[in-house]
Order: sequence, then C-alpha cells, then structure tokens
Amino acid sequence: MKPQAPFHTPVPRRDAIRVGFCAALGLGIPDILRFEAQAATIAPGAFTEGKAKSVIHLHLPGGMSHQESWDPKPEAPGEYRGALGVVKTKGGEVFSENFVKLAKVADKINVIRSIVGKIPDHQLATYQVFTAYTPTTVLDYPQMGAVVSHLFGGRNGLPPYVVIPRLSGYEGGTGFLSSKYGAFQLNADPGANGVFKIRDFSIPNGVSLEQFERRKTARDIVEQHMRHLEADPDKLNTMDEFNKSAYSLLTSEKSRKAFSLDGETDATRELYGKGLKLKNGQPAAIAERLLLARRLVEAGVRFVTVSYGSWDAHTAIKDISNDQMPALDQAIAGLVTDLDQRGMLDSTLVMVTTEFGRTPKINAGNGRDHWARCYSMLLAGGGTTRGQIYGASDSTAAEPARDAVPVEDYLATAYRQLGIDSTQKLMAMGARPVEIGGGGKVVTSLLS
Amino acid sequence: MFYRPAFLALAFALPLLQAATPAATNAPLKPKTPAIPEVPSFRRDVMPVFFRSGCNQGTCHGSARGKDGFMLSLFGYDPKGDYYRITQEYVGRRVNVAAPDDSLILLKAQGKVPHTGGRLFTKDSVYYQILLKWIEAGAPDDEGTVPVPVEITLSPDHMVFKAPTPAQKLKPTQQMKVTARYSDGTMRDVTDFALFSVNNPATATINKTGLLTPGGKGDGFVFARFSRFTIGSEIIVLPPNDTTYRWTNPPANNEFDRIVYDRLQKLRLLPSQLCDDETFLRRATLDLAGTLPSVAEYRAFMADNAPNKREKLVDRLIASDGFTDVWTDLWSEMLRVKGGGYAPTGTDVKAAAAYHDWIRNQIAHNRPLNEFVADQIKGTGSNLTDGPANLYTMLVHSTKFTPKAFASDFSQVFLGLRIQCAECHNHPFDRWTQDDYYGWVSFFNGLKRKQGAEPREFYIYNDPSAEPAKHLVDNRPMPATVLGGEAPVAKGVDPREALADWLTSPKNDLFTHNLANRIWAQYMGRGLVEPVDDMRISNPPANKALLDALAAHLASNGFNLRALVKEICMSRVYQLSAKPNGTNADDTRQSSRAQLRRLRADVLLDAIVKATDGDRTFNLFPKGIKAIEHYPRTTGDTNGNTFTDPFFQTFGRSDRSTVSASDTRLEPTLSQTLHFIAGDTLQDQITKGKVVPNLLAAKISPAEIVEELYIRVLSRKPDADEGKAMLALAKQAPADRKTYEDIFWSLIDSTEFLFNH
Repeated sequence: MKPQAPFHTPVPRRDAIRVGFCAALGLGIPDILRFEAQAATIAPGAFTEGKAKSVIHLHLPGGMSHQESWDPKPEAPGEYRGALGVVKTKGGEVFSENFVKLAKVADKINVIRSIVGKIPDHQLATYQVFTAYTPTTVLDYPQMGAVVSHLFGGRNGLPPYVVIPRLSGYEGGTGFLSSKYGAFQLNADPGANGVFKIRDFSIPNGVSLEQFERRKTARDIVEQHMRHLEADPDKLNTMDEFNKSAYSLLTSEKSRKAFSLDGETDATRELYGKGLKLKNGQPAAIAERLLLARRLVEAGVRFVTVSYGSWDAHTAIKDISNDQMPALDQAIAGLVTDLDQRGMLDSTLVMVTTEFGRTPKINAGNGRDHWARCYSMLLAGGGTTRGQIYGASDSTAAEPARDAVPVEDYLATAYRQLGIDSTQKLMAMGARPVEIGGGGKVVTSLLS
Repeated sequence: MFYRPAFLALAFALPLLQAATPAATNAPLKPKTPAIPEVPSFRRDVMPVFFRSGCNQGTCHGSARGKDGFMLSLFGYDPKGDYYRITQEYVGRRVNVAAPDDSLILLKAQGKVPHTGGRLFTKDSVYYQILLKWIEAGAPDDEGTVPVPVEITLSPDHMVFKAPTPAQKLKPTQQMKVTARYSDGTMRDVTDFALFSVNNPATATINKTGLLTPGGKGDGFVFARFSRFTIGSEIIVLPPNDTTYRWTNPPANNEFDRIVYDRLQKLRLLPSQLCDDETFLRRATLDLAGTLPSVAEYRAFMADNAPNKREKLVDRLIASDGFTDVWTDLWSEMLRVKGGGYAPTGTDVKAAAAYHDWIRNQIAHNRPLNEFVADQIKGTGSNLTDGPANLYTMLVHSTKFTPKAFASDFSQVFLGLRIQCAECHNHPFDRWTQDDYYGWVSFFNGLKRKQGAEPREFYIYNDPSAEPAKHLVDNRPMPATVLGGEAPVAKGVDPREALADWLTSPKNDLFTHNLANRIWAQYMGRGLVEPVDDMRISNPPANKALLDALAAHLASNGFNLRALVKEICMSRVYQLSAKPNGTNADDTRQSSRAQLRRLRADVLLDAIVKATDGDRTFNLFPKGIKAIEHYPRTTGDTNGNTFTDPFFQTFGRSDRSTVSASDTRLEPTLSQTLHFIAGDTLQDQITKGKVVPNLLAAKISPAEIVEELYIRVLSRKPDADEGKAMLALAKQAPADRKTYEDIFWSLIDSTEFLFNH
C-alpha cells in the first residue's frame, strides 16, 4: 500500500498566529482572532477536491441481508446459511446467487464484510449511515451530502446534492447547517411507469417563454426596492442565488437534459437492466435511477443519493431477495461498467449502503431480523482499490472476524476520497465545533 | 445601567477597561500555585485533575464505553465508580502503590507509554504531584468524609475592554479566577482545576489557564466549569475608535425600550429610525394576526391621522380571530398536536381535535398562561373529550408512555430546558444533576392509560402506588422532586398537583423566562435566548435585563398573554426600520433594528391565498380551513412523517415529529424558489382568484391597476421607479390579463413578500 497523501488542511493555526505571517497579510488583531476562531472549525473553501470528484450513493432501506447478498456462508448449518446458493466471483470469492453480474465485475469494486453499526433500529441506524452520528435531541447532525454541498458548493449551475427519488425522513437533513445545503429531492422516479417529470421543474403549462422572461424582469424591478433598504444583503443574495439556479435549471437545455434520460442509447439502458420488473408487475426502476445518477454526475452534480427497494425481510427472506436482487445486481454492475468505460470510475465514488444487516439465524417466519453488529457494504471507484474483499465476518456472519469497519470509518474513507478530512470540525449553532465524521478513521487499505 | 460620562472618561484612559467590580479594579489576578496537601484527597484533589486534564471528557475515557479499555464517569459524576476502576479493576496496574512513578495513569499522562490522548502534563506540574502524592499515600479512598463544592464564583464577573489596535504593543489580557465554596464553608481557588471557554471567540479568546484576550468589538461570555457547576462572566469589547459615537436620545415608549437602549449604549450601537406606516401595518398584521392587511385596511390605516393609530391597530389585531389562530398554531406545534387513524397510540383525529379546540378556546378567552399550562399538567380523563389530558398522548405519539422521554419533552416545552443530558451524567453545561433528573422523572412515573369505551379512547390518570424512578448510578429510588428542590413533594396525592403549583408559579423564573422568551421571539424574529428551547447557564440571554423585565411583566400581570404582546408591539424597538445606520448593520441580537424574517410556511400560504383571493383546501379538512388552522391529520399512525401538504414540507413547517423548535425551518431553499417560479401554488391561486380580471373590468387606469396589485401583495404603493418600470412593461405587451398577472406574480415571488421586514 502506498503511503497516504497528507490532507490538504487549512492554514495551520500555529503558523497563522505567528506575527510575521499576520504582518505579511496585513491582518489586524480582530482579524487574527476571527481567523483563530475559524481555525478551530472548517469553512467552505478549506479543502481542495480529492480523487473522487463526485459520489453516487445508493442506499437500500430496510436493512438488506448480508448473508443473502455480499457475504453468504455456504459452509454454515442450514439455519444460518439460508435457502440461497452462491456464485463464484472473478476474484475467487463467493457472492449470493442473485449477484451474477456483480460477481463478474468483482475485480472493479470493493466489498466490506465487516461493517459495524450501533443500533438495530431503522430510524437511528439510517441516520447514522447518512450523518456518521446517532441522533441526539441536543444537536442535529448534517447528512454527508449536505456537508459536501456546504464545503464545495455547486458546479456548472447545478445543485450540488440531488436525491433520486426521495428520502424517507429517517436520514436526517442539513442538521445544524443551513437548509440551503439540503438535498434537491426529485420527488419523481425516472424508472416509474409513465412520463418522468420532476415537480416544479418546467415552465408551467400555459406560460410562454416570453411571459416567463417578463416575470423575471418584473421581479428584478421589485427586488430593487428591497435592496434600497440595505438590510441583510446576505438574505437577498441567497434569494438571488436560488433564483439564478432555478432559472438556469428551468431554461438551460443542458441542465434540464442532465435531469432526463434523453439520448441514452438502448445498449446503455440495457446495461443497467432497463425495464426489469418486480413480481407485482411494477418496474424495479433501479436501472433508470442509477443511469440518471450517472448523467447528473457527468453534468457536474457532486453528490447523488439514490434509494431502492424495501429490504426489511422479517419473513420470507428468500422471496424478498429473489424479487428485488436481480435488478439491483444488474444495475450496480451496469453502473460500474458504464463508469469504467467512460473513464469516470476513478473520479466517481460509488457507495452502496444499508442501515444494518440481518440476524445470523433464519427465524420461524423464514426471515431474518435486525442485526447491526456485522454486515456488508460496497465502496468502489473514486480512487479506492479495485477488487478487494475487505474484512471478514465469522463463520455465521455474526461478528467481524477481522478488520472491523465501524460505519463512521466507512464514511471517513468516503470523505477522504472527496478531499475532506472528516476529523476537522464544522461550526454548529454559532459556537459549537462539531467533528464532521463522528470519530471515524480512514480505512487506508481501501485507498489505491 | 445608565450612561455615566465620568466613569467612561476615566475608563477610556486605561488600556484595559474593567467594569466597576471591587474584585476587578486592582492589578490583574495571577493564578497561584495551589498548595499540595500531604495526603491528597481522591474526591477533592485527584478527581479535579482528571477533569481539568480532559481525561473524563466524552471524547476520551468519559465516553459511555470508555476509551482504549479504560472508562471514567463523564465529567466525574460517579467518583465511587471511578475510584474502583482506577484502583481495583486491574490491581497494581493503573495505580501502583509499590512503585508510584510506574503507575500507568502517570506514565500515560506524561506520554511515556503510547496514549491516544497524548501528553497531558509533565512531572513538575501540580497535576502530576497531586496524583503521585496520592498514590504514595496508598491511593486512599475518602467516601463520605470530604466536603463537596456547593457553589463557584468567577471573577471578574463582568468586563469591558476596548478593542486593541494592530499597532498596540501591549495587548490587554485578563486572568480569570475561579473560587469554589465547599460544604464545610471553606473557600478554595480552583482556577488551576477549572475548564474555560468563550461563546463568542471573535470577541475574546481564553487559554487553558484562564487568561482572557479580548478581540474585536462585540459582546460575549466567558464560562468556567468546575465540579458540576458552570458560571459565566460577560465581556463587552468596544470598538477601538468610537470617539464619534453619540447617543441620539431616541424617545422610549416603555420600559422595554429603556432596557434595550441601555444595552445599545453599552455596545456603542444606535437604534434605526422608526419604520414607516406601510411597513408597520404589514409587520404588525403578519405578526399579530398571521395574515396580510386587506386593501381596504391599508387605505383606512393610511388615511387615519390619529396620533395613536398604531396603538388602535395593535388593539384591533390583538382582539382579532387571527391572533387566536396564531397562538393556537404555535402552541399546538410545540405540543405536537396531530391526529391519526391508528387507535393504540391514543392520538386519533378526534383526540387531536379535542386538544386543538381546547387550546383555541383558552387563547380566545385569554386564559392566564399559568392556568393554561397547569390544566394540562394535571390533565386527567378521556383523550377524546378532555382536551388537556392529551398532553400525555400528543407529546408521546406511541403506544407506550415512557416517563423519561416524556419528562425531557415536557421540560423542553414548558421550561425551555434540555434536561435529558442528566439521565446519564450531570449536565455538563448547566446546573442539573442526575439527582435532579430522576426526581423530575418521578412526577410522571405513575402516569397510566386505561382503555376506554372504544378502541380510540383512553383514560389518562395517575396511579399513586407507582414506584419512583431509580437513580442510574446506585439504583436509589428518587421520589418526585421539583428541579433544584431540596426535598421531595408530599406523598400520597397526585404529584402532578405539586408539580403544576411549582411550575406555573409567578416565582418560577424557569417558567416565566421560557414563556417571555418565546413570546418575544414571535415578534422580534429571534429569542433573547436562541434556540428558544435550549435555556441553560452556558447559553445566556442576549439581554438579561430585558428577559427579566418581560418575565416580570407576565408574572405581575397574571400571565396575561395579550397584555404582554401589546406592550412589546407598542415599544419603539418593535417599530424600528430594518434599514441599518452606521453602527448596527451587523446587529442581529440586540433589537437595534428590525430583522428580515421569512414567513412561516402556514402564514405564507395564507398570505398568498389572501393576496390572490384564491382558495386552498387541505386533505382530511373541510373546505375553508386556513393553513394556520391546519394541523397534521392522517389516516394512519401519527408517529412519523406527517406533512400532509407538499407546500408545508417545501417551506419547512414543522411536521411535529419532535418538540424541537428547530423543526420549524425558515431558511430559503432551491426547492422553494422552484416551487414559486414553476410550481402550482402561485399559478393556481392567481388564476383561481380573478383579481386581475376584476381589476380590468373595473375600467381603471394601468397605473391604478399596478398600485392596487402592490397594495394587495406588499401593503405599499409602488415607488416612482417601480411605477414607471412596471407601466413600461405593461405597455410592451398588450395590456391584457396575462401581463398584469405576470406583474402580480412577480410581486408575490419577491423577497419582500416572502419576508416580514
């Protein structure tokens, strides 16, 4: 393993307060003190981008069984093993039998089989996966996407943080950060039946472009009056920014195209598993969601969160797995292949998370219950290694056998690839420095 | 304190200004090296070393699971357990009586063996010497024999500095001093064992030893913590060159103005001008009645020449239904009123309606706020018919009543306190101990629900035979005791009676301050303490005298909400313009000018509907309900995401999933902007309402149409530039419905509309 490149850190505080340094910058004492106060925390602009320029984060809500996916135990007794068979991966490991396509791209991805969560509760555990913290009533922590949005801002007139199709409410939000860093939730599903249309995302019906422009001109006239008041220029500027973004999204063909699947070839769509259906006849939709995520990232969105499925298999785990996994298998494998072919894999970090795994033993209902002590996640691209199975669970997939990776460490590693040192602190509630990553440490063995 | 020229002239002559406290008028205080007793006491001497060195912090060994195999109680709440872990868990290892210098705690603290926490102190430090002497003496325990700290003081207790100029060679500093009084009456300088922090590092910084260095102008606090106490001293830093500052003697309408002015003078701020009548009309109508003034109200108010027309307006608005709607909404949001269709939680739509109607009725009749709260605390009976009993269903939204969780939410709503920290350890930043916490929880330990006549119905009652809560550390039963109380409340009756008496008493500052702060926040856009539900010693008010006066007004006027609101709105500071002068552009906390405040989601939606003569209906509610009268209703479980209208979610109305004030989001977002520009709300309401067709049919001039639209939406006439520009726009296109609807639209989409100012 190569030595880890040092983080780009803000100007070291000790250096900053040396008199010569300050004199050179012409800083007065109040500036120095302000500087010192800020030096305890991180502000936008403190970090430069890392190897990963963007993130595609796929979350599988409900708690996907690790035994029925990344970490099968074919040698274990039947009540632990479950009903599914296995498939050999390119690297000679085994995945569960539904992950045929993923087995073929196992040389491009990393699977971590020793993730350690904290609480086997959907809400608390989901919050942790998104924020690196378990919720407290005292302080609400921001989602990783919001932190990235805060620290790096948008690119190409696009919102920095997008969610396809929507969050459940368990994930937390912008926490102590301003809500302007919150996810732009599409609230629409590119894989659903019918026409894909994002709410409030096109010039309203019956309003001509000419009218649309006239409204904008009229609005500018009204805004001037408020400017004369000279109160809170920051608020007016924020509103201005949002208006520019909104107009750019609504009128820029390029931006709007990023939020559609227009122009993708059938071959590409099929690579992701276009049109695969669930048993109930509904579209699985994961193919289109991940394809849209790729397009957004390609256009400049920094952080795209996608959700798929319903994995809380307290009963009939075999059926639930067999129903939802083939589409998942094809879509993730398709995404990884597509990114690689386009030369985007090394600059796009792919995270596949779930809030916890499931109990080692099959229960009376042929299901498995919540299990946070050891489960699996995927991490690929964005300057991570390729083809690693990192960590291992014990013989019944109950506890980490080696190289345990707490959820915070997984996130710290992801932050690291984006160029963010998650041990640095953000300012909460005006005066309270809070570490970005909840104490997580980078798993250096996963860095290429 | 009033302006005292003589004092200030003297003070300005000194590089370091200290306020006139006897303790602070002499030379800077130097920390003294404390004498080390022959046999240091574990509790009195050794525990403070762990505290000061950070060993028992949450990020180190104070974490619930310890760190690297060694656990200490967080900030030392459990000395007995700590003694055991240090001396007994691995005998001879952490503390080695045979070879004291080889004790692991000493080696680790010096960084001589690998230590995640690094090197904490050296051999020649007083900390090392205390630990060493204690170990040399055999590491004795001292349970039950040692006086405990009962109070700490921090001096100076307030400070005024002049900001240093960059050229200034001698930087002013101030050594802080912490003194502890012990249960045996002895006093001790514990500066070396206290932890220091500041809440506004731009104004002053402090180092580990308690040496304070002022920075840029502003105000803030320095805090010291020792044992279970936190205490703060105020710091004011004046601008370096404020020779031009002159108080302009603005008129004061009442006591609140005088207190704010006093504070402004101390901080060298000047209040902005009085706002104009148009602004006042809009501001007061939105704040007091949750709606916009109508065009007719606008014209009447502007035409009125009476000198007391603002007072007449305030009186009218306070007496309006809108006022009742606003406060019903605010309370039902705090109390998490939501109705569902899942019977076992006791939060059926019918229960929610009973509670909501009861709240509305109390506000409509201006029921004294103490009685309003007391009724809920004592709430007993059916959730479907006895409104206030739903305090015990709505704060919970669960099939299970958990006294601890309830006690936390209850304190946050009615006292603005977050006491839950004290469940696991003494509150690190406030005065509450675990004893306080468990005694407090016991008030609710007997609360029961009994199934009523139908599945939706539950009887709420207190079971007097219930056992009190047990202390986490030693399992002691902790009978119901009010916060800070010396003894438990009398046994045998419903303890909630005693709780209500204590809590709602005019003498209970926790209660009066919480109410006063929340009421002030509604009219000024932020509480004197922010967040409003996080009152603690280490989060002091921006103007303590003002909070005291607001609270005193409540206490001495029978907790009369409308009387206090009138007094606030008649103050000059409520009526100031948002336009800054040369001194107050950065001020957001001292009420020297009005702040731009985004309208709450429900008020905003009602304002849009009112401006457009539109209508908006809500799922599961009858037609004609306003957004502010709406509370979440669902056919399912109420314990989850219950935004029932996407507008509320987009604009940050609280979905009432917690009692936290921060669930109401007032920040703008991209989705909000998109919704205004391209969403259905504005488009629908504008076309539904027929405002523009009616104006066109009235055969008035284009200028009059534009003026009418401005008054409708922004409660003002267009200025000369706007009038011209809008007419030019109207002329470019045929003056048809669409053109005026575009102008109408642009007015509603403006920042001016979105904010109260």
